[in-house]
Amino acid sequence: MSKVNGGFAGKILRVDLSTGAIRCEDTVEKYGELLGGTGIGYQVLWDEVPPGTGALEPGNKIVFATGVLAGTGVPCNGRTAITTLFPTCWPRPLVGSGHMGGRFAAQLKYAGYDGIIIEGRADRPVWISIRDARVEIRDARHLWGSGIRRATLEISREMGNDSVVAAIGQAGENLVPMSVVMNSVSHSAGGIGAVMGSKNLKAIGVQGSGGVRIAGDKAEWERLIKFHLSILGGNNQHVVPSSPHPQSEYYNPGSRWVGMPGKRWGAADPPLEINGGLYDLNRIAFRSNSGAFFLGDGAWKYTVRGNGCTACPIRCHTILKVPAVSAKYGIREVAQNTCAGMVFGRSFFKNLPGGPQGETAIEACMVGMHLADDLGVWCNYGQLQRDLLKLYYEGTLKTKIGAEEYASISWDKYESGDPAFLLDILPRVAMRKGELGHALGLGTGGLLARWSIPEETWGKDRATNYWKFGHPKHHANEDDGQCGAIISTQYNRDPQCHSHTNFVRNGLPLAVQKKLAAEIWGSPDAVDAPGNYTPMNIHKAMRAKWSLVRKELHDSLGLCNWMGPWVASPLKERGYSGDDSLESKFFSLATGRQTSREELDLIGEKIFVLHRALTIRDMGDKEMRARHDLIPEWVYNDPAGTPVFTKGTIRMDREDMVRAMEMFYGVMGWDTGSGAPTAQAYARLGLRDVSRELESRNLVPEKK
Amino acid sequence: MGTEGKEELIPRAAAAAGFETTISRRKFLILTACAVNGLAALSIRGAWGADAPVIIIENAKGLILADPTRCVGCRRCELACTEFNDGRSQPSLARIKVDRNINFGPGGLTSPVMGGAWGNGVFIQDTCKQCPHPVPCETACPEGAIKADPVTGARVVDAVVCVGCRLCRKACPWDMISFDEESQKATKCFLCHGSPKCVEACPSGAIAYVPWLDLTREVPPRVSVLTVVPAEKAQSCLECHISK
Amino acid sequence: MEAEKGREAIRLMLANVVRDASRAGRLMGMEGLLESLKSRGATDVEGPDFPGIDALMDETLASYPEIEALESISGQTLYYVPALLSRTYASILDRKSSPVILMAEEVRRNSADYPRPLPLEIFEESPFDLKPDQIADSLKTMAETPEFQDITFVTTSVGGVYLFSSRFLDRHYAAFLAERADVGLALNP
Repeated sequence: MSKVNGGFAGKILRVDLSTGAIRCEDTVEKYGELLGGTGIGYQVLWDEVPPGTGALEPGNKIVFATGVLAGTGVPCNGRTAITTLFPTCWPRPLVGSGHMGGRFAAQLKYAGYDGIIIEGRADRPVWISIRDARVEIRDARHLWGSGIRRATLEISREMGNDSVVAAIGQAGENLVPMSVVMNSVSHSAGGIGAVMGSKNLKAIGVQGSGGVRIAGDKAEWERLIKFHLSILGGNNQHVVPSSPHPQSEYYNPGSRWVGMPGKRWGAADPPLEINGGLYDLNRIAFRSNSGAFFLGDGAWKYTVRGNGCTACPIRCHTILKVPAVSAKYGIREVAQNTCAGMVFGRSFFKNLPGGPQGETAIEACMVGMHLADDLGVWCNYGQLQRDLLKLYYEGTLKTKIGAEEYASISWDKYESGDPAFLLDILPRVAMRKGELGHALGLGTGGLLARWSIPEETWGKDRATNYWKFGHPKHHANEDDGQCGAIISTQYNRDPQCHSHTNFVRNGLPLAVQKKLAAEIWGSPDAVDAPGNYTPMNIHKAMRAKWSLVRKELHDSLGLCNWMGPWVASPLKERGYSGDDSLESKFFSLATGRQTSREELDLIGEKIFVLHRALTIRDMGDKEMRARHDLIPEWVYNDPAGTPVFTKGTIRMDREDMVRAMEMFYGVMGWDTGSGAPTAQAYARLGLRDVSRELESRNLVPEKK
Repeated sequence: MGTEGKEELIPRAAAAAGFETTISRRKFLILTACAVNGLAALSIRGAWGADAPVIIIENAKGLILADPTRCVGCRRCELACTEFNDGRSQPSLARIKVDRNINFGPGGLTSPVMGGAWGNGVFIQDTCKQCPHPVPCETACPEGAIKADPVTGARVVDAVVCVGCRLCRKACPWDMISFDEESQKATKCFLCHGSPKCVEACPSGAIAYVPWLDLTREVPPRVSVLTVVPAEKAQSCLECHISK
Repeated sequence: MEAEKGREAIRLMLANVVRDASRAGRLMGMEGLLESLKSRGATDVEGPDFPGIDALMDETLASYPEIEALESISGQTLYYVPALLSRTYASILDRKSSPVILMAEEVRRNSADYPRPLPLEIFEESPFDLKPDQIADSLKTMAETPEFQDITFVTTSVGGVYLFSSRFLDRHYAAFLAERADVGLALNP
């Protein structure tokens, strides 16, 4: 990569836990062409982790990597991608990445590192202390067995109050695949906990006093940041508020922009009334309240404030204070999280007194956050809870665990919707206690195999949300027709891609969305109204590609793909258009390396294709279409029998999906027969070496 | 100001120290004894000289006022401060400090009531008080590098004069002086010449630029300070603070 | 010349009154504008030279293109600045005097544009601020009045009631969208 003058911290830290060796590598020299984040992660796994390595074996590596824009004032940065062989990927571990926000990415950059590569296995529990240039492997025997909260506090006592600690809980220590690493109270990355546990690595503590240099003109940088702020919406870049607002032509009751004049942070001291226009850039932080969005208006009174990642004005983690839970469940009255982490507890129950937004539901969420975020249990985007519901209510569970164990579980509480049930079930998972705790902790794939349940049982039941490889869908056909379905086929876990869903859920009327779609993807037909899907067309394939490329780009720049891309905006005067070139403009200014949108997208594509190559190599199979890009049966059915391509169904058509995959492979320049990239596709992206390696394994499709 | 006589300085110093009425020199000395902290305890040497450094500077016209109930801990203020002023994203250099309180609050882990994200969920922003006389950082500077900005009255570090001794850092009871390891100069809140970047950047309206008020009496010190007054300045102190 | 200057000052004053009202979330009618002229003593509104508020507002609209007029459901003309008070919001404010029209028109617009059915409870919230009995009465009126026969509802699996206009949405699709909004999105965070 040509010379860069900013953005990068400059070094990648490599810590070998087997030998205790600590080394630094030059980021730009070694990994600059892949930016950072998942780009570095995939490259390290490609270069250094041989096919067939087990997820929990010392040969697996963990790459914590952030990106050029992390630690800067670019809105919605703050992300760390953690790449490793995923222990929940079934039937064999394949490459995957978990992503966490919080303060970790910024602190790591300030300490002077763009990433950390963890190798080997320590012979006893350790934690890694990073204080600028001083890096040490320290004894963690006294921390082993403790929850994330205690581990964090003890490490902070040693390092200082302003350090950030990414730690695993008991679940990770016990090698439970369904486990997380967590920093800053509630910012977790799923699937990583057990891999850290397998290396005897309890935590990484970071403290940094340095900075990130911005190569470009600082006035220009300031202008671009202010422009970006002006095109922000609420959480998930929903660009209209949830109810009519004096300054908005549009609204959407499904919008995560729920903050409005008249709402109040009821648990702030004194309570804080949201007044003034929410379009004012000094009011952006009041737009989002995940508590109110997920738990209903009743959560406003418990809201202390919004919280979130360093530099993000959209505070998607809501701090809630619910005094009643202290006495009732013996837990702290303050908790915070967002989205699936916030509703973790509630999602276990089929029924809750008062319904899904009642007081009991809120209490269940508080108990869930208290336990999951301390034990470090992962929900796999709600799959843990959905699996238990299906297993229990269909009677399967009773046949799979012993009568004594079955009788020891408080099913009465489960059925009646008593949050205290969580105090029973979650420690079982984290401690691998009993057959049920053990099985649930494996993740869906491991559980189905262990209990000899055919995968199709899950794959044909739409209520499971199950997709493939032990993982659920993530904004698939139910949100975005073929485009969403294609995206859910591409990864080895749920895809964690929001580029597409953030657009279709942005809250603008269909005509405006179609106008924007025509501008960005060449045709209004690139987007459909939800549940009113039309047959596949090339513009949808282009949008699927764009979505995946931007996802990898964000994961490699330290940006948040839960907020980006920013192609729509709340601004009437811009015709609600955002800016499709924002990422490249920031990248150019930060690094001083002038890079166009097309050039940066090409790097994003390269990173995505590297993930594909790694998957092909580790599967030892180039027949991706037949054996990787799978679509579960439920996608092709509709419970009411509604025909495809009529209004009111998310059902997809088999032949149309075949066409959809072919069109997608086509726009990617891949072989449409196998769904594997061709030698030319690799070469176009500067991945000739990768191609040669795969050719030697007969994993590149032949020229037709 | 250096050419003014000491008699004119007294009422100004009194005003700077927060006394609104015109008072006699003797009364001023008694009243300020408590505010001066360590200064009065220094040894008496010399008398007021025409070229002695003047340590009494006028009050700032404004300061940054923080509202912790609104703060969301995003650090956009810290980043705006250093990016837009220094071209670097470096919160350790920021002249507003929030991050150090985000985890556990200003009292840290030893506080009986844990604040911050791990405690009660409250974030406290630390801001420069633009102290009235005696201005601890200004007084401590042996080079006279800390001066009042002619427009805002902010106490600012003149980077040309600063020699990087860090005595100002040790003198600030609120630990608000930053040190740039790269340039080896101290830096502090200079109110961005009247339009503070941090205020503009705050997404929750949690900080405001307001007419100056004396926060030194409201906000408890964060650290214990080492009061070092250069000898030449001590002489100036004594001129007013010791009755003859 | 002098007279023209005076007229210009009055136009500016009227424009400012409309702007201030929009900023405060209010629409301005002729009566209110006349009142404000009186209270500010800008001109002798009773005098023989007063051209009439209608004529003055026509001139003001021509001079200040950011101001728009809307025909109120009451028949009068109301003025506002869409940049400060959106057209959507203005029409909601205007229709608040008739809950039936307010609900029907909002449901129709949502069904036509987004498209989507609207949850019934949204009408209890700001800026609609209807009381439950007003909502119930309006639904009854709509059911009994021919011009509102397109307004109908679906119920979701968790009991949510969603209104839609059959002119723009068919029942099956409305039911799908309501279920998605009420249940689907929550299960699909």
